[in-house]
Amino acid sequence: MRSTIRLRYVLLAAVAALVFGVALYQLIGGGRQAPPKITVAVKAMDEIEFWRVLIDGVHTASREFNVEVSVIGPPKEVDVDRQIELIEAAIPEKPDAIVMAAGDYHRLVPVAEKIHQAGIPLVMIDSAVQGSYAETLIATDNFGAGQKAGKELAALLPGNAQVAIVSFVQGASTQIEREQGVRSILEGRAGTEIVGTYFSEGMEERAYEITMKLLQERPDLDGIVGLNEPSTVGAGRAIRELGLTGQVKLVGFDSSIKEVKLLEEGVIQSIIVQKPFNIGYLGVKTALSVLEGDKVPDKVYTDSVVIHKSNMYTEENQKLLFPFVEE
Amino acid sequence: MRPSTRIKSIQSRIAGSFVMLVLFTALLLIFISYPLSESAVRETAENYTSELINQVNANIETYITGMKDMSLAAMNNPNVREYLVSGGGLEPEELAKLKRKISGYFHSILVSRKDIASIHIFGYNGTFISDRMDTELNPNISLQEQDWYRQAQEHKGQAVISSSHVQPVVKDEYRWVVSLSRELSGSDPDKGIGILLIDLNFKVINDMLSKLDLGNRGYVFVIDKEGRIVYHPQQQLLYSNLKTERLEQVLQDTRGGFVVKEDGGSRIYSIKDTDFGWKIVGVFYENELVDNKRQMQRSFAIAGMLCLGVGVLLSFLLSRNLTRPIKRLQETMAEVEKGNFDIRVPVGHSKEISSLARSFNVMVLKIKELMNQIVVEQEVKRKSELNALQAQINPHFLYNTLDSIIWMAESKKHDEVILMTSALARLFRASLSKGREMIPIATEIEHITSYLNIQQMRYQDKIRFTQSVDPSLYPYVTLKVLLQPLVENAIYHGIKNKQGPGSIVISGELQGDRIMLRVADDGIGMAPDKLSKLLTAPGKERSKTSVGIANVHQRIQLYFGPEYGLSYESEPGAGTTVTVTIPAIRVEELAGRGEKLS
Repeated sequence: MRSTIRLRYVLLAAVAALVFGVALYQLIGGGRQAPPKITVAVKAMDEIEFWRVLIDGVHTASREFNVEVSVIGPPKEVDVDRQIELIEAAIPEKPDAIVMAAGDYHRLVPVAEKIHQAGIPLVMIDSAVQGSYAETLIATDNFGAGQKAGKELAALLPGNAQVAIVSFVQGASTQIEREQGVRSILEGRAGTEIVGTYFSEGMEERAYEITMKLLQERPDLDGIVGLNEPSTVGAGRAIRELGLTGQVKLVGFDSSIKEVKLLEEGVIQSIIVQKPFNIGYLGVKTALSVLEGDKVPDKVYTDSVVIHKSNMYTEENQKLLFPFVEE
Repeated sequence: MRPSTRIKSIQSRIAGSFVMLVLFTALLLIFISYPLSESAVRETAENYTSELINQVNANIETYITGMKDMSLAAMNNPNVREYLVSGGGLEPEELAKLKRKISGYFHSILVSRKDIASIHIFGYNGTFISDRMDTELNPNISLQEQDWYRQAQEHKGQAVISSSHVQPVVKDEYRWVVSLSRELSGSDPDKGIGILLIDLNFKVINDMLSKLDLGNRGYVFVIDKEGRIVYHPQQQLLYSNLKTERLEQVLQDTRGGFVVKEDGGSRIYSIKDTDFGWKIVGVFYENELVDNKRQMQRSFAIAGMLCLGVGVLLSFLLSRNLTRPIKRLQETMAEVEKGNFDIRVPVGHSKEISSLARSFNVMVLKIKELMNQIVVEQEVKRKSELNALQAQINPHFLYNTLDSIIWMAESKKHDEVILMTSALARLFRASLSKGREMIPIATEIEHITSYLNIQQMRYQDKIRFTQSVDPSLYPYVTLKVLLQPLVENAIYHGIKNKQGPGSIVISGELQGDRIMLRVADDGIGMAPDKLSKLLTAPGKERSKTSVGIANVHQRIQLYFGPEYGLSYESEPGAGTTVTVTIPAIRVEELAGRGEKLS
């Protein structure tokens, strides 16, 4: 009898302590969670400055919001197969969310589908895939950027003008939207004729050759729009070589040292620069919002900026043109 | 054990109190020490931040001071002056030689300084010298439009430190630098001859700042005196308005920092002004302390839990330990309650409990003694009552009296017969008193008077008696049949053996709270040795009357206490006086004590 009473007391005390402890632990430790894991799949790791800056934005966001990010991507942008491989390998690791820049509008559809089936929230950045697998797309407003380019050129052209567009890959969504943007402005301009869209396949040499041929065939050409960096640089080189600097107006996209030089020389009049840092940053931030159950819009557009020779070295723009990426 | 008794038991109360005490103390400690440690953590964080930005300041100033020293050295270099001032007067070959010399000098400075990107001198006469001989200027860039160039001209020989910027003046080079520029003057101090430009590789500052650790989200940024960003980890976000920074507030601040309260918690800004106008700002997120806070809370919780657990356990053990002797005492008491008086409680260690146990033991012993005493007393009482009964219905006395009545009847003395018979009747009525032991003195007097009347009739002139008890004593009580044995003794041992008639005087008086009743005779008296043995317990050799006297003495003492009883005074040949001392208790008083009288 006596020993059972004692046992009961000890038991009672132990239970009380346990209940108290659990309550306290719940109270204090309950809200604590491990940082979410987000996989960011880019088109290329460090071949192009655009992606390096974008990844920089990703890391900035991960530090700020305390997220564990792993960035994956092939060494070169054209290596779409490698990107598919890498993403498919990342799905079984069950990250809390995937942020993806699709290397191809069609070929990455099965990957997006797999991510969707695995129940992992998908946020697309820069370029989308066909279909609606993603929660949202964060990208430059390419149509708007195209319009900006169109307006820049329109302001430089004489009354009656002939214009050519040097694009990169036929069928790429960014290219299509940019071209539509450019056309929406120039086609509405009185006395302006768009002589055609030419594809550089994303290669500077090809753009150079196309433009050389074009300028020789059409000496009365007044302006060219280059829809990406190699297309613009290639066109610029051709204009400079033919001594048509200032005569044939050139408006381009993206930035590089080559473009900067052409801008300084006056070969290029304006460039439209995207903000990859912001795309990377917002990609992670939006993925977090999705994880927290917030409603996110279908599309989030990031800014693009028009840069001329005169505003190249302003405080804001030099950071865009000469991104300072930590090695 | 039933639940109700468990709650009421001392043990559970003690345990409960201990638990409450421990809980209260633990909570109090947590509530007091937690904010203290919290503020300590905050203070540490603030100190750390300000130390960090001081360190940053020291580092940056080292770079800037290095540049300034370098600019002075370059300015005072005679070759430089010669080249810029008298450039036109020298032969081209000599000029080229001089330029090489200067360039070599600059180069030698740069070799030892990894942080300096380049040194240039731009003469107003169109010449320029670089630390590298093969440097070409960017043909598309106008020097005069450069901010650092204009600033140097404006500041007339003062060193000007730029914000961080891209330096485009050298062909094919676009480096991020911080520029020091100053105008060089010739022999006329007011007339400039050129601009000296020293570029600090911004990477060294960027690397230093980006590696700083101010918690997960905390950061350091630097702005120049116009509020332009020299370094900010989220510069791009600021330019796109995705983020805002309190640049205005930083510029206007004079107290070395401020706190910004936001939805998600507050940010603490610490600001350090550098000598050349930059402001170094450390931003610390108070939420960052949350991690520390959580950790702290957790350790507090664990410590509290442990304390509480140990406290609860200890209080149960302690209360058990404390109440065990009390329980043992309680168990023993239950035994005693059942009638076992031979049990003893072991005397424990603690002072209070052991004295309690000792008292209890003594008490049990006393009770046992008292009970024995009562048993003995009751026995004696009963015996003495029996004796009193025997005294009052003495068969010998009855026989003699009846004999006398017969004899008187034969002599046809009717009056005497009536007198004697009625006296006998009164005697018995008084002695019966409805069976009560305590009777009013009046009744006792009636009894003894009847007795003496009978005796006088028998002994005729041999005995005379006087009864002079004050009637004021009548309402007091006495034991019944006290006086009869005394009078009997006076007659048979005092007067009967005396020559001639004897007298007996019965008197009584109140002395304080006592009543003295006296029976005095003038008989033969008693020898002192006989006198002393009269009142002791009855022995075998005692005569019947002396047994009666001893019995009276004993009865008085049993009923009223040892200070009462009989006392004899006697002188052989002169007579004996016996005094009965009893307490003065009124009949009503006795009734008030619960004993009833007739």
